[in-house]
Amino acid sequence: MIVARGLTKTYGPRTAVDHLSFTVEPGRVTGFLGPNGAGKSTTMRMILGLDRPTSGSVTVNGRSYAASPAPLREVGALLEARALHPGRSARDHLRWLAASNGIPRTRIDEVLDLVGLEAVAEQRVGRFSLGMGQRLGIAVALLGDPPVVVLDEPVNGLDPEGIRWVRNLARELAGQGRTVLVSSHLMSEMALTADHLIVVGRGRMLADCSMADFITEHASSYVRVRSPRVSDAEALLRGQGLDVDRLDDQLRVRGRNAAEIGELLGGAGLYVHELALVQSSLEDAFMTLTADSVEYATHPAETAGAVR
Amino acid sequence: MSATPTVSTAPARPGTGSSSAADVVRLDPNRHVPGVRQPGFAQVLHAEWVKFWTVRSTRWSLGLLFLLGAGLTTLVCWAAASDLAAGDTGEAPAAFLTWGLLFSQLTALALGTLVVTSEYGTGMIRATVTAVPRRGRVVAAKAVVLTVVLFVAGVVTAVAGYLGGNWFLDREGVGLALSDDGVLRALLGNGLYLAGLGVFALATGLLIRHTAAALTVGMALVLVVGNVAYALPGTWGEWVAKLLPGNAGGAVAQVAPFNGGAVLAPWTGFGVFAAEVAALLLVAVLVFRRRDA
Ligand SMILES: Nc1ncnc2c1ncn2[C@@H]1O[C@H](COP(=O)(O)OP(=O)(O)OP(=O)(O)O)[C@@H](O)[C@H]1O
Ligand SMILES: [Mg+2]
Repeated sequence: MIVARGLTKTYGPRTAVDHLSFTVEPGRVTGFLGPNGAGKSTTMRMILGLDRPTSGSVTVNGRSYAASPAPLREVGALLEARALHPGRSARDHLRWLAASNGIPRTRIDEVLDLVGLEAVAEQRVGRFSLGMGQRLGIAVALLGDPPVVVLDEPVNGLDPEGIRWVRNLARELAGQGRTVLVSSHLMSEMALTADHLIVVGRGRMLADCSMADFITEHASSYVRVRSPRVSDAEALLRGQGLDVDRLDDQLRVRGRNAAEIGELLGGAGLYVHELALVQSSLEDAFMTLTADSVEYATHPAETAGAVR
Repeated sequence: MSATPTVSTAPARPGTGSSSAADVVRLDPNRHVPGVRQPGFAQVLHAEWVKFWTVRSTRWSLGLLFLLGAGLTTLVCWAAASDLAAGDTGEAPAAFLTWGLLFSQLTALALGTLVVTSEYGTGMIRATVTAVPRRGRVVAAKAVVLTVVLFVAGVVTAVAGYLGGNWFLDREGVGLALSDDGVLRALLGNGLYLAGLGVFALATGLLIRHTAAALTVGMALVLVVGNVAYALPGTWGEWVAKLLPGNAGGAVAQVAPFNGGAVLAPWTGFGVFAAEVAALLLVAVLVFRRRDA
């Protein structure tokens, strides 16, 4: 269990993490979401005692990370930036880590096997691909068989098979009763992995709820209606107290399902050319939620053509 | 694509078999990998020892240390032996028996610096501090590893240099026996001085965090500033020069000093040097503990 209370970190004039309070419960995967620069990695570094909070506190299993006698047995972490010497072999990297926390050497082969790096264990990690480095990072996280696992962008650089592997691993770890915190800025990936969501933007908490609640609350759906007599249809539906938006010759109706809307229109003798349920994706929901807190927005030209 | 959260189907490990699925599964307390439950300084030391020997720069630096230290001493003694015997150099032959130290000390500085700056350069420091959040322990372990290795390397190098160099001096009849004044002390002193330099560099590395900058500062302090300080006027200037780390610590490692600047007596000097190194290390630890990794 990870508990943050009023966690704040400022770097000079810039507030990277702004009074975050949350609890990461065991037994489920908690997704930590936010656009670039939202403060996810900073929060994770504070959880691990790497960065000192400007104010507030964060504890892991009831005490600060640094107070743990053998932290690798308590918390396993994959950090965003590579945290290894390129000249050392994967096995040697795991060797010193194991030694530092009194973990037997046999465990090294176990985790190498688990992440599928046995064959390249003696190679210098400087030669590793992004994905291999990521796998080694996960091996490091699991070395002490910790009850709490913190993964910062674990699927970064992984191929589809690797992405699925991480997803299943995270779910399996949570299934065993561990506390699992996984950060990402990919809502679509989180939708498949996480049970619970913590969404931040510009260091502030935007949402802290279950995935199901998030969907009901933020992933809106509507019924698209096209009719040759669009104004009449609009008036009729509004008359029924429904929430109607008009875009050119198209109506977006909320509050009833497609069948009911079709019957209403049919009952009034209005022809319907299109009647479709449109479910906005979680991706859209996330975009809407974080729209105001995106710091590094792309220019429209880069995304033009994608949606029209 | 289903976005509804699903209950994990992953099988819990034996002993956790709570069949009321959806809820939190208790983590099997016997799940833990065996090993030391409460690792202490010994484990940190072991980790630093493994780290030290599993990068190439260690072997390179130590090889270079030996080559420069023992090799140059031998070479210079060979070249200067006859002049020394004739008394043309104005220096005591004893001063030449540790001639290579002038260069081998650079490799000790490099080794000490790299032990920490390479971690900052690669991001390794974050792994180090997550594995051992007690940062003072990390520094202490690094210092012990450096001290032991550089002491041994320094003594071995000095003995080899003595054997090689003295062989040429002996041929000209100006050699020194091990039992002669200061010889044994200097051989041991080489180890002590290099170990001290390594720890000194470790501290500067911790404070500066960048390899090139830390190396430059370390070398400048020990070599350049140490020599330039002799140009300072008056007894005040002389004292400053004598107390600078390179000058204070170097004396213990030389059988006899070269002519030129005044130096403290060997053991006094080493005491001053050790105190300086300890003070710098303390500052470095305090800063390191406060800083974000
Ligand atoms: N060491 C630092 N010094 C100064 N500013 C920093 C430092 N670390 C992070 N920041 C700033 O803090 C903010 C949060 O950064 P952080 O890396 O935590 O974001 P993030 O959510 O992990 O983003 P991403 O999705 O891109 O990984 C950013 O604006 C960043 O520029
Ligand atoms: Mg990040």
